[in-house]
Amino acid sequence: MRTAPTSEMQEVARAAARWLALLESGTATEADHIRLQHWRNSSANHEHIWQKAQQLRQRFEALPPALAMASLDRPDLARRAAIKRALGIAAVLPTTWLIARQVPVQVWLADVHTAIGEQKTLQLADGSLLQLNTDSAVNVDLSKRELTLVRGEMALRVNDSAGLTIHLPYGRVVVGRSDVCVRLNDRDCQIKVASGAAQLHPLQGPALFLREGEEVRLRPGGAGEVGRFDASLPGWREGVLIAQNQPLGDFLRELRRFRPGLLRWAPELENLRVIGSFRLDDTDRVLSLLAASLPLEVQSRTRYWVTLMPLNAHA
Amino acid sequence: MVDAVTPPDQRLSVLYREHRSWLENWLRHRVGNSWDAADLSQDTFLRVLSSAQKLEELREPRAYLLTVGKRLLSNFYSRRSLEAAYLEALAQLPEECVPSPEQRWLLLETLQALDELLDGLPRLVRRAFLWSQLHGLGYREIAERLDVSERTVKRYMAQAYEHCLLVQL
Repeated sequence: MRTAPTSEMQEVARAAARWLALLESGTATEADHIRLQHWRNSSANHEHIWQKAQQLRQRFEALPPALAMASLDRPDLARRAAIKRALGIAAVLPTTWLIARQVPVQVWLADVHTAIGEQKTLQLADGSLLQLNTDSAVNVDLSKRELTLVRGEMALRVNDSAGLTIHLPYGRVVVGRSDVCVRLNDRDCQIKVASGAAQLHPLQGPALFLREGEEVRLRPGGAGEVGRFDASLPGWREGVLIAQNQPLGDFLRELRRFRPGLLRWAPELENLRVIGSFRLDDTDRVLSLLAASLPLEVQSRTRYWVTLMPLNAHA
Repeated sequence: MVDAVTPPDQRLSVLYREHRSWLENWLRHRVGNSWDAADLSQDTFLRVLSSAQKLEELREPRAYLLTVGKRLLSNFYSRRSLEAAYLEALAQLPEECVPSPEQRWLLLETLQALDELLDGLPRLVRRAFLWSQLHGLGYREIAERLDVSERTVKRYMAQAYEHCLLVQL
């Protein structure tokens, strides 16, 4: 851990800082320059810290200005300060904030996330309901009436006609009094409207209007074709995974999102068909159910390393 | 009777055994997943190991671990928020300006180091300093943008330089 600088070095740092500020202000006179030179020459410590300051300036100079500015002067610095306060690092008032976070009613400004296999429901301060699926992260800023889906999947039911905006990597969705579900995949994002309607503004291409039961994929180049889905079927928000004659590979890739650790299967199992509805709160049980209904067996080295193998007919 | 002296590594392992899962649990509630929590708790014990604090003099080991852990957690949040802002800014660059993957990570590391360096400065001081260092803006222009006097800007700059130099000492 760092040791506190001596008061002498603090004085030297302060003096150097004042010299730098004076020089950069453009108001330094010839006499000031001579005095500075004298100051630097008068002690090894002075010159040492002066060199440090020059290195500091060079580190900034080497950066691409716009990118560095956007990162180092980012808008959520105020929120970070709030987090630090809440952690009791810089100041007081931690408890209320932490309680509000642990009993998440009335969220106004937050970074919310879930672990693998975890789901969360939050009531936002405007009455909207936010649900996070497994392994997901959402930033909420109601002062700007916006949410950003950072990772995973979320559902949002907005009750206020003022609406909320969800920011995605390739565009944004404006949600009025309606219910939408948004998911980030590796190469695209998926937007589904469960009830009401939503407006989609891709980064590229024209905006479009989605109605109840419609879904669309959003890619860097714009929105794809609008498709339909059955909004009455239960899904992850109800804690179930439904397969209607789905290839086992697709089903397992979906199930894997909810399970920590490794889940693998032999390639010849890829196209077996799965039918049924499965409860997501116990994925071990889902695997047992698969083994009971399909010609496969579950080999577990540990809970976190599971392989599905075809049943050996000769065994 | 001989007063047995416990060697330091053993004291650390006792500390580790007795408090690690408690600390990890505490961290997990805050970062939301076990991996980051495990990393952070590991880092916390590493810090404790490398600190000058004498373990046998710890009266409240959990309070001490929390103090160290909170600081690391705060850094963790900062790094994550910086990374998000950085990636967002990158995504808005025209394709021909996007740096190569290696450059991107180097740049991110540099930015993280500078972000830590600037941590603790008031918002406006930080902004004024960044405008000056990154964009080379003069004090007059900064003063106009922030709607403060040039003298104030000069004071901000001195404050920022002093802060950075002290952190680097």
